[in-house]
Amino acid sequence: MLGYLTRRFLTALVSVVLASLLVFSALLLVPGDPAVVILGMNAHPEALAALRTRLGLDVPPAQRYVQWLAGVVRGDWGESLQFGRPVAALIWVRLGVSVPLALGAATIACLIALPLGIWAALRRGSATDPIVILASQLGAAIPSFWLGLLLILFFAVELRWLPAGGFPGWDRSPIDSIRALILPILALGLGQAAVMTRMTRAAMLDVLGQDYVRTARAKGLPQRSVIYKHALRNALVTIVTILGLSLTNVFIGSIVIEQVFALPGLGRMALTAIGNRDFPLLQGAILVYASTIVMLSFLVDASYGLLDPRIRYG
Amino acid sequence: MHRLIALACALGVALAGLALAQEAAPVYGGSVTVAIVADPPGWDPSASTSQEIPRVVYHNVFEGLVRFDADGEIVPALATDWQVSDDGLQWTFTLRSGVMFHDGSAFTVDDVIAKFERAMDPDSGHTNPGYYAAIESVESAMDGTAVVFTLERPSRSLLYNLARPDSIIYPAGTHETQRTQPIGTGPFRFARYVEGSEVRLERFEDYHQDGLPYLDEVVYRIISDPNTRFAALQAGDIDIAALAPEQYQLAVANPDLEATVGTATAEITMALNNEREPLSDVRVRQAITHAIDKDAIVQGAMFGLGTVIGSHMTPAEAYYVDLTDTYPYDPERARELLAEAGYPDGFTVDFELPEPYANERRSGEVVAQYLRDVGIDVNLSVVEWGTWIERIFLGGDYDMTIIGHSEPRDINVYGNPGYYYRYDNPRVRELLEEAETAPTAEAETAAYQEIARIIAEDAVNVWLFSAPFIVGTQNDVHGFWVNQPTPNYNMVEVFRAP
Repeated sequence: MLGYLTRRFLTALVSVVLASLLVFSALLLVPGDPAVVILGMNAHPEALAALRTRLGLDVPPAQRYVQWLAGVVRGDWGESLQFGRPVAALIWVRLGVSVPLALGAATIACLIALPLGIWAALRRGSATDPIVILASQLGAAIPSFWLGLLLILFFAVELRWLPAGGFPGWDRSPIDSIRALILPILALGLGQAAVMTRMTRAAMLDVLGQDYVRTARAKGLPQRSVIYKHALRNALVTIVTILGLSLTNVFIGSIVIEQVFALPGLGRMALTAIGNRDFPLLQGAILVYASTIVMLSFLVDASYGLLDPRIRYG
Repeated sequence: MHRLIALACALGVALAGLALAQEAAPVYGGSVTVAIVADPPGWDPSASTSQEIPRVVYHNVFEGLVRFDADGEIVPALATDWQVSDDGLQWTFTLRSGVMFHDGSAFTVDDVIAKFERAMDPDSGHTNPGYYAAIESVESAMDGTAVVFTLERPSRSLLYNLARPDSIIYPAGTHETQRTQPIGTGPFRFARYVEGSEVRLERFEDYHQDGLPYLDEVVYRIISDPNTRFAALQAGDIDIAALAPEQYQLAVANPDLEATVGTATAEITMALNNEREPLSDVRVRQAITHAIDKDAIVQGAMFGLGTVIGSHMTPAEAYYVDLTDTYPYDPERARELLAEAGYPDGFTVDFELPEPYANERRSGEVVAQYLRDVGIDVNLSVVEWGTWIERIFLGGDYDMTIIGHSEPRDINVYGNPGYYYRYDNPRVRELLEEAETAPTAEAETAAYQEIARIIAEDAVNVWLFSAPFIVGTQNDVHGFWVNQPTPNYNMVEVFRAP
């Protein structure tokens, strides 16, 4: 087990480094010069050259990447070209928006999807089952940015209950910050809930059709016990996989939602960094994204053994 | 009886006048939130030519010796008045006394000298050293209460250039930190900046002009999506936002909002690479201009909000001359010209549109259809912004593109053969020199108008229209600039009153 986890961890580490290398190379291939973005369209060539030197852009790319990587290992993520502030500090502030957004959306998704999916599976073939299926298909088909705009128009413009966008900051007003996150969390979470409902329903149906469930029923166990002790426990392996996937999905999906709601989150920062060719900032953001996704899948893998003792790590 | 009615009418008019006056009476205090579209690259207008910077800090935070007012007139700022010697070579500016910077230090002649010595030095990293090229020296005069600019040659554009955002003045020796911690003499102090979220300005109590500003606080909130921006305005989350043309009618219909259409200095320009076959043939360029119905583009892409132009100047600018009839919409003539130039069956051309700009993208799609109608086969594509700047704007590697040139008075780019239009005309350079050293304002205007005429006749580019400044504000917000003589969301005289 320990050996497996160590190997798995090392693979994860390599994946993260590869991801950052891939993004770094991709940015080198497209034209675009951060010095021009900073100084503006009519910048003087001498001023451009001076800024390139100051930003360290005159160093060969390979050396620049190694320098950056060495810095990250030492805990120094470099400085943003656009903002002139340490990347780590900028990312830390942005995580204060993106993490609550992703966790909130995933929680909403789970709270809706797990009960609804199980309920629909138990009522398979009844009149309510197709309604749940239809609703979840609709939910999965609606793009989150469009749902976001609808929510803004209804709850912010019409009813004026919640802000249409923006984020006041946790230090200024925690309550207003929470209010600012409600609509984005719904926009992101509802679509995810729809996808997860269908997956949970399918997983439950799969388990309910197994021999041991029939045996449990046959030996006269009450329905509640059949579902919670036998079926759900075994469906959990699939559900945890779904959960891991959904967290990844909401984390990535938050890039679009942050744009729609003008939230100063990590995704919007990464997009701006691409536009401005702010290499250190983008590299930092990618590092966070890649690590999160790799870590989530690592945690999901590790949890299988706890949920299902039959699973052994070789 | 008639007299009574007349009296009642007069009274009514007087009351209405009073009501109007009351509505316009400024109220002190409060906060106003304005939408901006992106984080600018720093906050120092003399360190980057990005127009997003002066939109926030010009006049609000930073001032120069002179500045533009809401009508685009040049008015005193840190200088109270100025005199020019008869030969036009000595400009003496009397400095305003008792002016404080936001950090508590006093504004002195040394700050002015340090500023312009940096501005004149092309290696200093200061923007647009060309604006200061005529200056030979900047010296203190009258015990430091005035500053004298000695010029190498007369310069008609000096005063205008001193009013530009590039010419703002901050404490000597602070240029390294101004990008992140702006310190000026303006009516608002830079208080807080959260990247990607908002900028807060606070009222500066020691502002040199008594009674201004009215607001205690101004918040610029960064909202890049136009739909979200408008929704935030409709929801009352923000007070002022620039609008897209399609949002204007919605704003007019909204009882909570006031919507205005003002002038701005942006020419939406379909740039042609004058160096590339077959665009290098003037007949081909004329044919392209003839092929395009600019009125239809203003209707189709801008919902009718825009003014058709015929050269690189907008009606909002002092030298404007109407050249829209130079090559009017005439597809038949376009086909003839193409045949004359040796392209009776048209040709194939790349047309690349910048991704971030919706007006330009939409206009480009309509333009492409007009060109196809006269037989020109257009390869339409959209390019990402960083690529646009690097390859098209700096590299000149393109056939055709569309972009809005928002800087005021930028016709001088036609004197630069290296500019991405790749247009080389010695006569234009001579005229630019003439305009700069003209003995009278009339001669200067005549020279600029001649340049506008020459480039229009050469069909260097297709100048489609001048984009208006469309803005929506909450009903209780007053005093915001209706026009944009220079890119500036000026909050100095904005106030809230029901």
